[in-house]
Amino acid sequence: MKVLVINAGSSSLKYQLYNMMDESVLASGRVERIGMDSSIVTHESANKPEVRDVREILDHVTAVKRVIDILVHPDFGVITSMSEIDAVGHRVVHGGEAFKHSVIVTQEVKAEIKRLFDLAPLHNPAHMMGINAVETNMPNVPQVVVFDTAFHQTMPETSYLYPIPKVLYRRHKIRRYGFHGTSHAYVSGEAARFLGKPIESLKMVSCHIGNGASCAAIVGGKTLDTSMGMTPLEGLMMGTRSGDIDPAIVPFVINKEELTLSEVNSMLNKHSGMQAISGLSSDMREIDEAMNAGDANAKLAFDMFVYRLRKYIGAYAAAMNGIDVLLFTAGIGENSASVRRAVCEGITFLGLELDDALNTERKKTVREISKPDSRVKVLVVPTNEELLIARDTYKLTNV
Amino acid sequence: MHRMIKKVGVIGIGTMGQGIAEMLASKGLDVFILEQSEERLRYGLQMIEISLDKQIEKWALTNSEKKLILSRIDSVSYYEELASCELVIETITEELEAKKEVFRKLDAICSESTILASNTSTLSLTELASVTATPDRVIGIHFIYPVLKVDLVEIVRGLKTSEETFARTKHFVDEIIMKKSVMVFESPGFVTTRLICLFINEALHVLEEGVASAEDIDNAMRIGYSFSHGPFEMADRFGLDSVLAALERMFREYGELKYRPSIVLKKMVRGGHLGVKSGVGFFQYDKDGDRIS
Repeated sequence: MKVLVINAGSSSLKYQLYNMMDESVLASGRVERIGMDSSIVTHESANKPEVRDVREILDHVTAVKRVIDILVHPDFGVITSMSEIDAVGHRVVHGGEAFKHSVIVTQEVKAEIKRLFDLAPLHNPAHMMGINAVETNMPNVPQVVVFDTAFHQTMPETSYLYPIPKVLYRRHKIRRYGFHGTSHAYVSGEAARFLGKPIESLKMVSCHIGNGASCAAIVGGKTLDTSMGMTPLEGLMMGTRSGDIDPAIVPFVINKEELTLSEVNSMLNKHSGMQAISGLSSDMREIDEAMNAGDANAKLAFDMFVYRLRKYIGAYAAAMNGIDVLLFTAGIGENSASVRRAVCEGITFLGLELDDALNTERKKTVREISKPDSRVKVLVVPTNEELLIARDTYKLTNV
Repeated sequence: MHRMIKKVGVIGIGTMGQGIAEMLASKGLDVFILEQSEERLRYGLQMIEISLDKQIEKWALTNSEKKLILSRIDSVSYYEELASCELVIETITEELEAKKEVFRKLDAICSESTILASNTSTLSLTELASVTATPDRVIGIHFIYPVLKVDLVEIVRGLKTSEETFARTKHFVDEIIMKKSVMVFESPGFVTTRLICLFINEALHVLEEGVASAEDIDNAMRIGYSFSHGPFEMADRFGLDSVLAALERMFREYGELKYRPSIVLKKMVRGGHLGVKSGVGFFQYDKDGDRIS
C-alpha cells in the first residue's frame, strides 16, 4: 500500500510517497514557481539519482503530472506504474467547524472546503487546486484531506469563543480555530507512546515553535485550548508575526499612520515579531548568534519570545489545573537548546527540572530532556505532519 | 479554451503605466513595458521602485516581495517583443493619432487571441479599433489613479468588441487582478472621468467666484463626504493637464457648456503648474509626491 502526500501552495507543491507497510518515505520532492515558464522540480529518493529540472509548468495539473512522470521514471522513479499509488492525502489548512477529522474527498467535501475560502484565502484555494489536479491525473484514486484545524475542534466554547458580539460568530464564524493541529496531534501521540503512558491520563503543553509558532493545552489527547485563533496571527511572538497585541492598537495605527487594511495586515504578519524587535532577522538561529555576540536588540527579541512562550505555558498549566508533559517541536523547538533552557529556567515552580546535558544533546528522535526526578517531563519530539497525513489517508482508504 | 492571461504588455510608462505595471506584477503576472525612449523607460522603472519603497515604509511589502515584483517587470524596446503577450494595455498620452498608431502596430504583431486594450479615459474605442483588422478584440480597460489602491476598473465596450473579448477581460479583472469591474458602453469620459471632471471643474468655478479657498473647498468635500482627497488635490494627483484634456474632449464631444474647462485650469496648465508631477499645482509636493503645503 503506497500513499502520496501532497501539500499544495498557490505556486508550489510538496510531496512524499510513503510505503505504508513500514511507514518509510520512498521519495519526496517539490515543484516550485508553478505558473511560470521556469518552474523548478526537485526530487529525491533513497537509491536513485536526484532530479532537478527547470521547465514550464503553468498549473497544478501539469505539476502533478510531472510528479507522477518522475515517480514512474525508469531512471529516477521508485514505482513502475501510477497504479501503485493507492491513495493521495492532502494537507488543508482550514477545515472550519465542518471538519473535526480527516475525510475522504467527495463532491460535498470539496464544496465545503470552497465555502471556507473566506477564512483561509491564501491557503484553501491552493489546496483545492491540488485536489483537482490529482483528480484530473488520477481519476480513480481515492483522496483524503487532513485539516490543520481539525485536531483543535475538541475545544469547548469557553476556549473558542471571543468575548465580542455573538452575532459575529453566527454571521461570520469568527472564533478560535487554531492551527498546526496535525503537528500537535502527532507529537502528543508520540510523546505518550514514548513515555509508555495512556494519552488519556496526561496533561500536556505542546509547543510547536518554528517560523510560525503555537502552543496547545492537551488534556487526555484532546485540545483544551490553543494559542492561534481565527487566523495564525494570534498567540505567541513569531518570526515576522506579532502574536497577541492589544486589538485597539490596530485602529489607532490605521488612523495615525494613514494605513489601509492590507497595509496594517501586512505590518502585523510580515513586519513584526522577532524581525521587528531584533531589527535583524526573523530566524532564531541568527538571533541566537547575534545575541551571543552582544547584540542588545537580538537579546531583547530572544527574551521577549521566551517570556511570551513561558506566559502561555503557565496559563495552560493553570487552565488544565496541572501539567505532566511539556513538549517542544518544529524548527526552533527541535533545534534550539538555548530557547528550551531559557523557557524552562523560568517555570521551575511547576516542578520541572531540565537536564542541561540532555538538553544540548543533538538527536533526531524523541527524547526526554528533563532530570529523571522532574515531576514534569520535558520532551523534544520531532514533528512529522506528512506521516500523520499518510496514516490518516491509509486508515480511511483501507477499510 | 483560450490561454490564461499570464503575460501582459504595457505600452507607455507614465503615471498610469507605472501604476498598472506595478499592480500587475504584484498580482504575479509577467509584465513587459515599452516606451518611446530608454530614458523614459528608466525613469518609469525608477518611479515604480520608489512606489515599492514607499510601500515597504508603510509595511505593505517586504524587501523580498519588492525584489520579486521587480523581477516580473521586463523592459522591451520593440513591439515584436510583445507578440507572446495574452493582453496588451496601451496607456500613452491621450492623443488619438498616437494611440491609433499603437493599435496599428499591435494588430500587426500580436496573435489573434491577444486582447488589445486601451486605458483611455475619454477617447473612442470604436475609433481606435477601426485601424485594426480585428476590432472585435479591442477593448477599454480604464484604471483609476492610484491603480494599486483603487479597486475599480471600467471595462469599456466599443461598437465591435466581441462578447468573448469582454468575457475574457472581465474574468481577468475580477478573478486575476481581483478588482471590481463595471461594464460601460463607449461614451466620452465613461462614468468615472465624466463625473469626477465635472466635480473638479465645478470646484474651480467655486474657487474663481471667491466663495472659499482651495484648502477649505478640499476640506469640505474630503471630510464632509468622505473623499480621500478633495477636488483640488485630486486634480493635482491626476495631473492638471490630463484633467484639462479630458474636459476639452468632453466639451467637444458633448458640446455642452458644463464641460467647458475653467479659465484658472487653463492658465495653470499653460504656466506649467501640473500638480504632483511638476511639484506645484493647487498645492505643493515633494519629489515622492507627498504634499508639503
